[in-house]
Amino acid sequence: MNRPAGTLALAALLLALLALVALACGSAGLGWGTNGELLMLRLPRVLAALAAGLALGLGGANQQGVFRNPLADPGLTGVFGGALLGIALLLAAATEFTWQHRWALPTAAFAGALATSTALVWLGRGRSTSKLLLTGLGLNAFTAAGTLLIAARFPEARDTLINGAAGDWLGSATLELAGLPILGCLLAALLLLTQASALDRLALGEDMAFCLGTDVARTRLSGVLLTALAAAAAVCLVGQVAFIGLLAPHLARALVGPRHRAMLPLAGLLGAGLLLLADTLGRSLWTQTPISAAAMTALLGAPAFVWIASRRHE
Amino acid sequence: MSEVLLAALRLSMDLAGRTVLDGVALTADAGEVVAVVGANGAGKTTLLRACAGLLPQATGDLTLGGVDPRQTAPERLAALRAYAPQHPTSAWDYTLTELGSLAASPEAFHHWRERFGLSASAARRLSELSGGERKVAHLSLTFSALGDAFGKVLLLDEPTTALDLCRAELVARAIRASAQAGAAVLVATHDLAWARSCDRVLVLSEGRLVAAGPPDTALTAELVRATWGGS
Repeated sequence: MNRPAGTLALAALLLALLALVALACGSAGLGWGTNGELLMLRLPRVLAALAAGLALGLGGANQQGVFRNPLADPGLTGVFGGALLGIALLLAAATEFTWQHRWALPTAAFAGALATSTALVWLGRGRSTSKLLLTGLGLNAFTAAGTLLIAARFPEARDTLINGAAGDWLGSATLELAGLPILGCLLAALLLLTQASALDRLALGEDMAFCLGTDVARTRLSGVLLTALAAAAAVCLVGQVAFIGLLAPHLARALVGPRHRAMLPLAGLLGAGLLLLADTLGRSLWTQTPISAAAMTALLGAPAFVWIASRRHE
Repeated sequence: MSEVLLAALRLSMDLAGRTVLDGVALTADAGEVVAVVGANGAGKTTLLRACAGLLPQATGDLTLGGVDPRQTAPERLAALRAYAPQHPTSAWDYTLTELGSLAASPEAFHHWRERFGLSASAARRLSELSGGERKVAHLSLTFSALGDAFGKVLLLDEPTTALDLCRAELVARAIRASAQAGAAVLVATHDLAWARSCDRVLVLSEGRLVAAGPPDTALTAELVRATWGGS
């Protein structure tokens, strides 16, 4: 009984330690600077990584729960791609307006994420696991192509979008810019946690969940909205990053079992830890040419994805 | 005079342009076990799912425990009926403890699984159970969801498929006990011998009700031949 609580507490403690290390790590070696000025420089980046990772871990766990599919991940099923495409479209249509209004980028990201998240539910529904993943793969490729097309056509947006597609936005996080997306991540995370018991029952299939008293349609709708919110907020902070939403829920399930009441918060903590670890390693191991958080995540996550896929028996 | 807990009239359902239920009428009273029989694809599963409220697009009159299940909130409906699908699944590899915790009453779940001869350790995972054991684990969830059976409707889709004779008998007894406790039970089955022991039998063929009534009058030799073929 105490094991999930103990694991959660341990994960939170390790995450706090990791955050301290991340605040102290940098190109100048270990330390906060004489007056803590380095601390203030790194704080937005660390907070952004924590919030985005939290949303990614929970968003992935929710998508896996709603689709009853352990290979679902908003980063792989096109929801992040949709968020980025939303940003790209806004930048292309109204660059100045975008940078003048702090809410503009997150709103465009949410619209894009919501569009792909909805398309995924409509097109990918059914009993087959592969149908959903193939639909997501198609959406992901389409949105990525759209973003690159806009990047090629609009020189003033090019660098921003290429960096976003590479998951390299964390470095430019400031408290001003990141404030709203961080709040979005936290809000999405809190609301996602309320889905635990519905997701537990959804594992038994939509028919059985409904018959046990779960409002399946509402759970699915909340899943679409909240995954889109989490993805949009996280993409505004990091850019396109896959595998956190896949890996964090898997680790959480292996540690505390599949019940979502313990698994969801742990997936959030692990997501935050993984993204912060990837970002910190990426900028500390190679100080001259830092590697983006998304690249580091994929470096760790892709082999894990292959491992999970090979172990899956249908 | 026993109470009608489930009633349908002109219940129809089209799926992808095909009529899978065609004007079915049925009733199930408190204390009654009603068998639904028919060849594969006759519409048994669709009929049960419609009665459970899982097919809001089904047309016709439908009343379950005094409400229309197509227009009743899931939570309210869950207090009126329980349903067991033909092929229960679980996306995650729950332990028996975890599966039981999804029931309204975990104690009732464990009571039922022991009653069905599943005395494995509660820490066992679904993947570690045999097909038949998994089936009764999920059936335990359904029976425990029913709670006090009085006045409730129990809808079971081929509950004894994949079970050995001994477990099938345990499930048959539980079905009878639920009816005696005041539930109306509707069971889709391919076991005609068992269907003959039920209070009434509904025979479906291509979505239509071709016979209904006590087993002796509904399951005549001619009808069995006409429905299932053979000589």
